[in-house]
Amino acid sequence: MHYTRNLRGSLLGAASLMVLALPAAAQEVTVWSGYPELGPFYEHVAEGMNAKYPDLKVNVEPIALREHEKRVALGITSGLEGATVIELPGSTASRYVENDLLPVPPQDVVDFVKDPANFGPFFVDAASNNGQVYGVPLFRGQGALFYNTEMFEAAGLTEPPKTMEEYTEYAEKLTQRDADGNPTVSGWSLRLSGGGQGIAEKFWINMFQYGGNVLEQTADGKWKADYANEAGLKALRQYIDLVQTKKTVTVEMPADAEAFERGQTAMFIRESWVIGDIAAKAPDLKYATAPLPVGSIALPGNLYVAGDADDADIRAAWDFVLATNEPDNLVWLLANVGWLPNRSGVDYSSVTDSVPQFAAFVDYPEGYKFFTLPSIGPIEEVLTRLAAALSEAYADPSLAGDDDKIMAVLQRAEDETNAILEREGLLGE
Amino acid sequence: MLRRRRWRFAVMALLPTFAIFAWVRLYPIVQTLNLSLHDWNLLSKNKPFVGLSNFIELFGDRLFLTALGNTAIIAFGVMLLTIPSAMVLAGLIHYRTRSRFAGFYETSVFIPHVVSLVPAAMAWKWIFDAKLGPLNALITRLGGEPQSWLFDPYLSVLCVIILCSWQALGYAVLIFLVGFRNLPTSVYEAARLDGASGIQSFRFLSVPLLKPITLYVSVVTLISGFNVYAQAFVLASDAQGAPGRLVRVLVLDMLENSFRNYRVGYAAAEAVILLVIVLVLTGAQFALLRERNGR
Repeated sequence: MHYTRNLRGSLLGAASLMVLALPAAAQEVTVWSGYPELGPFYEHVAEGMNAKYPDLKVNVEPIALREHEKRVALGITSGLEGATVIELPGSTASRYVENDLLPVPPQDVVDFVKDPANFGPFFVDAASNNGQVYGVPLFRGQGALFYNTEMFEAAGLTEPPKTMEEYTEYAEKLTQRDADGNPTVSGWSLRLSGGGQGIAEKFWINMFQYGGNVLEQTADGKWKADYANEAGLKALRQYIDLVQTKKTVTVEMPADAEAFERGQTAMFIRESWVIGDIAAKAPDLKYATAPLPVGSIALPGNLYVAGDADDADIRAAWDFVLATNEPDNLVWLLANVGWLPNRSGVDYSSVTDSVPQFAAFVDYPEGYKFFTLPSIGPIEEVLTRLAAALSEAYADPSLAGDDDKIMAVLQRAEDETNAILEREGLLGE
Repeated sequence: MLRRRRWRFAVMALLPTFAIFAWVRLYPIVQTLNLSLHDWNLLSKNKPFVGLSNFIELFGDRLFLTALGNTAIIAFGVMLLTIPSAMVLAGLIHYRTRSRFAGFYETSVFIPHVVSLVPAAMAWKWIFDAKLGPLNALITRLGGEPQSWLFDPYLSVLCVIILCSWQALGYAVLIFLVGFRNLPTSVYEAARLDGASGIQSFRFLSVPLLKPITLYVSVVTLISGFNVYAQAFVLASDAQGAPGRLVRVLVLDMLENSFRNYRVGYAAAEAVILLVIVLVLTGAQFALLRERNGR
């Protein structure tokens, strides 16, 4: 009996010691990003939080954008375990907000976002729904022309193109061909194939230079498709002319940032992250950037917090979100990743002065216009279906020189877009 | 009384297995059927009943019709390419190579079936590459014109068929080999005595005797052909640097409708149509082979 009591006491003591020896329960925050290049940035922010949160563990999980979209859709609807910081554009987040799947941030976070000294109204609106702030603006995708200065020089071109007509002329002059006349280096790389809505976004950017928009808001606050018109015709005609007639680029040629970095294209339109990508992958590349003729897309990326976690973890997640917007971190983001931070009142000159390519993104001409994707539920479906129609059109040689056929393609796609809007009760008068 | 108790015991013994089967296998199918009659955006708590409107809309949806056409071409293409070549290969391995290398031949044919799909598809993507691929290099060396394998509307579908067949071949050969090994040798000996050549024995004995195996392999190949997704996705995925023409297939369309367009009910209707197609085709194959066997 005495022995049993002793044993029980010893076990109790050992158990107490083990409990005392255990480290304090660590806080955990997960970060979901759709841009792998942002992974190091979030890790950098997490390191900076060590002083305030010594036990905070931040799991940074960046994956490719389309997979990220699926992960968020499944994760949020099936219930996230643990505090999760989610990176989303406002246009996509609106679906989740409307279904009460993204919570309202703490008041200090709302105040931070609403402070005009921090963000302009465009970014506050993009992070809000019906006037209520749900997310914190972080960065934006904004396009500009990237061009290879050595190729420009070799072609006798001294300055970037200023009109869309010049873009075509430049593309012809810059295209390098083999003995049979087949292009070996594209004059102007265009997004022509692959899946996803990117094809439609790139088309929208080009059409915007002609004064058009894929979607226009109507007086009743709803939307309607508006691209089966002169601007749409000019934009699609230019694509088909370059691909099928002038053959300055072909569907099968290497494209995008990779092609630019390898010297396989002379120019292309892309966001500022390419600057960071070039610095990492092709540091010797001689290139410059220029604003687009009329204006650019500005696609704000915001951070939201979701997940089933205790208040302390949720607070830590919001503190992480606020930390991403600290001036030092934003300068780090611009210098090392290249995405443009949205916060105003921060001195970015140490980066913009040393990397002149940023000038096209921050020192644009007066009257330079911006557009963004509307925050409506079916925006992805609208763009994905338009992209499918466009990629077929780009590869169709029978459209070359036939404006009626091109217009028919646009009209069919526009009808489809309006049918989607009507189904969702969003079609304006 | 004893019989009744035994019967009860059998039911009780089977019940847990049946419950698990029902939960894992039947419930998702019933749930998909149910979802196909509703409009659900994945996020909302409301799922209004819409009857057959998802199905009606599908048959006017050009992306769905394209996906359906591509998937059918791929599934039948894979079956037509795989079944005869697998049967011939299995026959060769069984009759012609009874050497110590027989195991090696079997393994090398089967390996593609167990190789992870994504790296395999990436390798094929390189093979089909218009600029750097060895296939075009070979064609050019032989005096032909290089082709845009992954970009041409027809060739890109053919590429998916080739990749799927390459993967399916190993499994089909393995099953056919089992079939060959179970064929009665006496029939072949009799044929040989009657002066039949090897090819004649194959044509008039092996092919008819292997019908049940052919049925099984063709059903499995066809079903897996209708479920094609990863091959099309990897060959022409979102890779921005070197994209390809996206061959739209049913599973890809379903995923897009579910997780990008947030139309789960609509995607479920696609899944139901896929299920019906596979069931009808499987039934037709069974009926066809039974009828022929009956004759």
